[in-house]
Amino acid sequence: MEPDLSVGLRNWRLASPVIAAAGTFGFGEEYAELYDLAILGAVVTKTLTLCPRAGNPQPRLWETPCGLLNSIGLENPGIDAFCQEILPRVLRLGVPIVVSVFGDDPEEYGELARRIPPNVAALELNLSCPNVPGKSPVLAPTEVAARVAAARASWSGELWVKISPEGDYLGSALAAQDAGADAIVAVNTFRGMAIDLERRAPVFANVMAGLSGPAIKPLSLRIVYELCGVLHIPVIGCGGITSGRDALEFIFAGAHAVQVGTANFLHPLALPRIIREMQEYLRSQGIRNIEEVRGCARKR
Amino acid sequence: MSPLEFREAPVLDQREVAPNIFLLRVGGEFHALPGQFFLLRAWGLHPPLSRPMSVFDLSPGSLSFAYAVRGEGTRLLSRLRPGDIVQVLGPLGKGWSRAEGKVALVGGGMGLAPLLFTAKVFGRPLHIFLGFKGEPFLVEEFLPFGEVYVATEKPGYPGAFLGLVTEAFEPRGYAAVYACGPRPMLEALYEKCRAAGVPLHVSLEERLACGIGACFGCTIFTKRGPVRLCREGPVFRADEVFDGARSFRGT
Repeated sequence: MEPDLSVGLRNWRLASPVIAAAGTFGFGEEYAELYDLAILGAVVTKTLTLCPRAGNPQPRLWETPCGLLNSIGLENPGIDAFCQEILPRVLRLGVPIVVSVFGDDPEEYGELARRIPPNVAALELNLSCPNVPGKSPVLAPTEVAARVAAARASWSGELWVKISPEGDYLGSALAAQDAGADAIVAVNTFRGMAIDLERRAPVFANVMAGLSGPAIKPLSLRIVYELCGVLHIPVIGCGGITSGRDALEFIFAGAHAVQVGTANFLHPLALPRIIREMQEYLRSQGIRNIEEVRGCARKR
Repeated sequence: MSPLEFREAPVLDQREVAPNIFLLRVGGEFHALPGQFFLLRAWGLHPPLSRPMSVFDLSPGSLSFAYAVRGEGTRLLSRLRPGDIVQVLGPLGKGWSRAEGKVALVGGGMGLAPLLFTAKVFGRPLHIFLGFKGEPFLVEEFLPFGEVYVATEKPGYPGAFLGLVTEAFEPRGYAAVYACGPRPMLEALYEKCRAAGVPLHVSLEERLACGIGACFGCTIFTKRGPVRLCREGPVFRADEVFDGARSFRGT
């Protein structure tokens, strides 16, 4: 019998613990040309803002050893154009849609949450984008709490909060939990930079960029392990996962599910392969249900 | 648009046609429009991204790419030998279509890469202008498909124009011009074409990640706003990207 990969979150059950991460999967339509998205737990959309954003200038991408720096800068058509033109199509892809949003302040998060129709599976607050000129991705726990509370007040569905790996991430995650988050997504990219020796200047116009990819996996795994020790809401692990074994490390550390981003660029069929590899491992170990092994590597 | 496919293709052959310039041919039945590209990969985790390459040539049973070794990805590709496997995703992007009448293709250096397949599909009447910094390469491949003119900045090549290809080229009399090459070359060409009232189509390049329009890593600004080079491009009408497109300094 196939091992059961479905996982229960607070308000719904995911068909699979593997979720496409925000900003790496568009609105799902492009990858839907390559495979059936129904195998995924969910697709998190590209982050949306109240007004359309053109994003940052080129270059937006830079490779590092086993890592990728990006400075996209939240290019998006704005929440209203998304809800009217894109969302109706995306809801027909046959996979739960999680809408990611970014606001400048708590009021904007409240306003964004008000504009999301109730038929999306969850709302994910991006509290940690490192690529907005003039804005730090590192918020104090009180700032996190204010944003989550504002969104919670106008959104009664499942609410995820994606935090930065920098600053007081434990305090931020606890603050989000207390303010009404249903799950913590840990983590967004780490701020990094690169310098162009020919131009003798930073590669990116915004100087800093977000580092993702296999290079950050041990760091994100460590944070997920710490968070799972202090939170009572589910943690969704994210950061550098490229294989089924990587994903299982996060589950064994205590995560309910994982988000996978940069791996989609390494291989367009990365998510189906990760799911297949997780199933193969569970089958080989005689494990019938992935929830049996959640947190199994935690020191007691 | 033609359906997108991912597959693993065997290397049929590879040769270094000039110092650091390679021609890689992989096996399989592929389809593409002139101007479209594929993502190539033949390694594990590093470098993280695959390498985008225009179709140099497409024939029954094979697909080939011409490229210069610039970094780690192209260095790894250049080491592939017959029988090695390359992961190939494509065809990607939009192609360009031929205007009626006599048209010209203009390539600068490695910018000749998308032009051979274009020449093959477009057919005559066709003039092909190829510019080089030093010794010309791959010129013989173009000879069957149109009248070929070569420019080089290095003396010593009889029959070649000594100087820039944009100096050798006069757009008047063509129904349209199709070009690929370094940005300053394309801009100089655009000035000439605009003055002559001849439409110019350009094939552009940026670093890109997903190749299918999901990551917004390759966005460029155009007259109609930000567009994804991999999806809405890589070929554009030059007046959309060079003329009045606002400089891209964030928001």
